[in-house]
Amino acid sequence: MNQERLPLDLEELETYFNEELDDKIEEIRTEKIDKGLSQKPMKLLWMTVSREHFREAVEVISDIQTPHLSVASGSDKGDFVELIYHFMVNHGYRQEETAVNLKVHLPKDDLTIPTITDIIPGAITTEREKQEFLGIDVIDIPDDRRMWLDENYPEDRYPWRWDEQGMEDMSRHVHEDEETFEEPVAERVKDEEDGE
Amino acid sequence: MAKDKATYEVPIGPIHPALKEPFKVDFKLEGEEIVDADPKPGMNHRGVEFMGMHRHPMKVIPLAERTCGICSIVHQHMYTSAVEHAAGIVPTDRSRYIRTIMMELERIHSHVLWAGVAAHEIGFDTHMHFTWKIREKVMDLLEEISGNRVNYSMWTFGGVRRDIEEDMHPKIEETLDYYGDLYDKLEDIFLGDPSIRHRTKDIGILTKEKALELCGVGPTVRGSGVKKDVRIDQPYCAYPDLEMDYVLPSRYGHENKGDVFSKTLVRLKEILQSIDLIEQCIEKMPEGDITSEPNKAGIFNKLKKASGEGIGRLEAPRGEAMHYVRLTEDNEDVENWKIRASTYNNLATYAPMFMGEQIADIPIIAACIDPCIGCMDRAEIVDLDTGEKQEYSKEELHELSVQKTEEMLGGFDR
Repeated sequence: MNQERLPLDLEELETYFNEELDDKIEEIRTEKIDKGLSQKPMKLLWMTVSREHFREAVEVISDIQTPHLSVASGSDKGDFVELIYHFMVNHGYRQEETAVNLKVHLPKDDLTIPTITDIIPGAITTEREKQEFLGIDVIDIPDDRRMWLDENYPEDRYPWRWDEQGMEDMSRHVHEDEETFEEPVAERVKDEEDGE
Repeated sequence: MAKDKATYEVPIGPIHPALKEPFKVDFKLEGEEIVDADPKPGMNHRGVEFMGMHRHPMKVIPLAERTCGICSIVHQHMYTSAVEHAAGIVPTDRSRYIRTIMMELERIHSHVLWAGVAAHEIGFDTHMHFTWKIREKVMDLLEEISGNRVNYSMWTFGGVRRDIEEDMHPKIEETLDYYGDLYDKLEDIFLGDPSIRHRTKDIGILTKEKALELCGVGPTVRGSGVKKDVRIDQPYCAYPDLEMDYVLPSRYGHENKGDVFSKTLVRLKEILQSIDLIEQCIEKMPEGDITSEPNKAGIFNKLKKASGEGIGRLEAPRGEAMHYVRLTEDNEDVENWKIRASTYNNLATYAPMFMGEQIADIPIIAACIDPCIGCMDRAEIVDLDTGEKQEYSKEELHELSVQKTEEMLGGFDR
């Protein structure tokens, strides 16, 4: 995109996304929150796309300006996991920065998402975190080592999941005795279930 | 590979419990030169988000502010404003100004603290004691306003819990004058001193392109000339009403080089900027209530019915940070909470900054993004050819850094 068009206001951004992505957008809404006495609003845009069109959407956002990826947040919503990539565009322009929150829904039986590190190299930290905390498989991630969790934390348990792969049951046993800290908690829970 | 060109792996870190956020960096070295750096955080992962997702939103406020001991206001504010966004609670105008004053006071204390750490890393302990001594003044003021030196417990949904009244203004002005008067001395030490310049100029360079594509934040990228400052880009609290500009080295006649010197310059100038912003806040502060929901039952009722998602975002002393919160009607607890601190984004900027530098520069470069330097506790060198191990303690690594300063100056009396 021509850099001279920057900054884009909220309506322009919405039109731009509608033109570029058209029916690939499942849902789009904009939001303004008043801040300060001068009542200059904070601007946000929420957009949902399917996984097939996710990379295309990121490329469309990157065309505006090298975007700032704040973080990707994720949550377990039962049948699916929702990821929200919080991009910031129009940075460097006074009071014009807009949050573009890109949502993707991943079904529980196929938790994969393509990497975006080739478009935004800074995404690596947050992609690695999503692998560990939600059990998402980021395809073609350049570095898939564990980053935040301890080495002896079980491989198939994910702290932010609410289903049987979460750590709800584990967290109830942590305080019980010193042994818990010695052996991996998941094994202990399994032993208890087996009646040992 | 020739023996003298062997690649060494040097893990540095992770634990030094006395300091915030222990983490580790694995270095690959060829001789003295760093060829790769791989940061490994997570040693202090305490599952704060998991704990928060099992609590009532009200109970998460004290938890949120304990995420970090230095910038507790930052996390408290982001969490509170994310919930306010999700639940549609609007803070009062007066509370926006009080919040801004508190956040800027915290910035002064954080930057002065950092200056001391940086001086220590290159062997100037007198400067460290000087900066940490002058930091006490702002800590005293924060205590006077909130009742606490750290973990201020000032925020509540819809405003703040303590007012800044007229009779506190002289004390605030006195503190601001104190820093205003001392500023020239600080600048003289950190920017004027030739030996400090030698250790910071052209060291740990982060180019503007790298800073942008790695999504770095705060003074770390502003030193490279990137215009990113949430206070100006997407202002919150009272910032839309205040006059301010991006602090870039080019504004002060220096090159936007992105080395340690540029980052030091940005942090020092931000102390002056904070003083100016607090003065503006005191001048413009409107009358009125400090909270829009003085009745606790009212807040609980609103939170119970609340359904939605919210973002809290701000410019912390270390750079942009954000929280994401989602509340749902059928769940009284916080359903989803994501904390994103500034160092999280700046981690990726380590690799380009360390590349091509020397072991003795590790402490100052590691400190220049203003992370925890607790990682400097212990280092181990493994010779890949012979499997021989060599250990560096924090003290030895520090000694190496000090030696470099001495060699540069032809020896000076420490």
